[in-house]
Amino acid sequence: MSYRNYVIAAYAVFAAMLLWDYLAPKLQLSQALRAIRLQYRRDAARRKPGAQA
Amino acid sequence: MNPVLRWFHQLGSPPYFDRFAARWAPWCYGLGALAMAWGVYGALFQVPADYQQGDSFRILYIHVPCAWMSMAVFALMAVYAAIALVWRIKLCEILAMACAPAGAAFTVATLATGSIWGKPMWGTWWDWDPRLTTELILLFLYLGVIGLYHAIDDRRQAARAAGLLAVVGIVLLPVIHYSVTWWNSLHQGQTISLFGESKMDPSMLPPLWWMVLGTHVWFVGSLLARARADNLRREAGKDWAAQAAGAAS
Repeated sequence: MSYRNYVIAAYAVFAAMLLWDYLAPKLQLSQALRAIRLQYRRDAARRKPGAQA
Repeated sequence: MNPVLRWFHQLGSPPYFDRFAARWAPWCYGLGALAMAWGVYGALFQVPADYQQGDSFRILYIHVPCAWMSMAVFALMAVYAAIALVWRIKLCEILAMACAPAGAAFTVATLATGSIWGKPMWGTWWDWDPRLTTELILLFLYLGVIGLYHAIDDRRQAARAAGLLAVVGIVLLPVIHYSVTWWNSLHQGQTISLFGESKMDPSMLPPLWWMVLGTHVWFVGSLLARARADNLRREAGKDWAAQAAGAAS
């Protein structure tokens, strides 16, 4: 008995887990960096002379 | 000051940690992936099929490293959480909370691959066996830590509350480890030993050690990447964070 399908399914689950573990922090990081850039732009606009308080 | 001690203190600084994590996380992912690729090649194409289990035993090469990681990551999370609770080191809070999603992922992979192996070998996807049940409880503990961390608005209070759960939850680890000894279990006893003699033939072991090495190095990459993201979120208002994000020159 080869049980090939079970082996393929198990390795596919493992690969999917690794892919998620790689992509999830990347997504979190890009969101955090984007939020910082937006906040910096808002703060810079507020500090400009003549900007409304 | 001793250079190692000085480096350790520097690592606690959020900007220094950000640079450190940005530099080393990709290396850890890459080296971990290489080690695992070599391990998978060995597991699927080099070692012969088992005389009783056929090819299904090849699942062991991912199931065992994931199971070890599920417990090792929880232990590491509890250590970071304990340090954070006692000495209030912010980076340790971040690292403890960064352990939880990766540990939960390894636990899900352990349960899923074990279940897939169990169907042809035991004739069932699931059994309320002590080892399986305690591993499932470990997954619930991970989910509890993640849930608690995201349920409280104040990040530091959230990390302390979730960290306390991680510290208390560590009592489960010896129960998981010895569950096959203490109770009658469908799950086989210890087959592979890190330091003693394994019950597997030595010729079958090298791919497993590559997988163990690969999962550990990969996890370090994942930990650094997650901790870096959380560190940046917490320090969003600081100048160094704006520089790291490329917003300020």
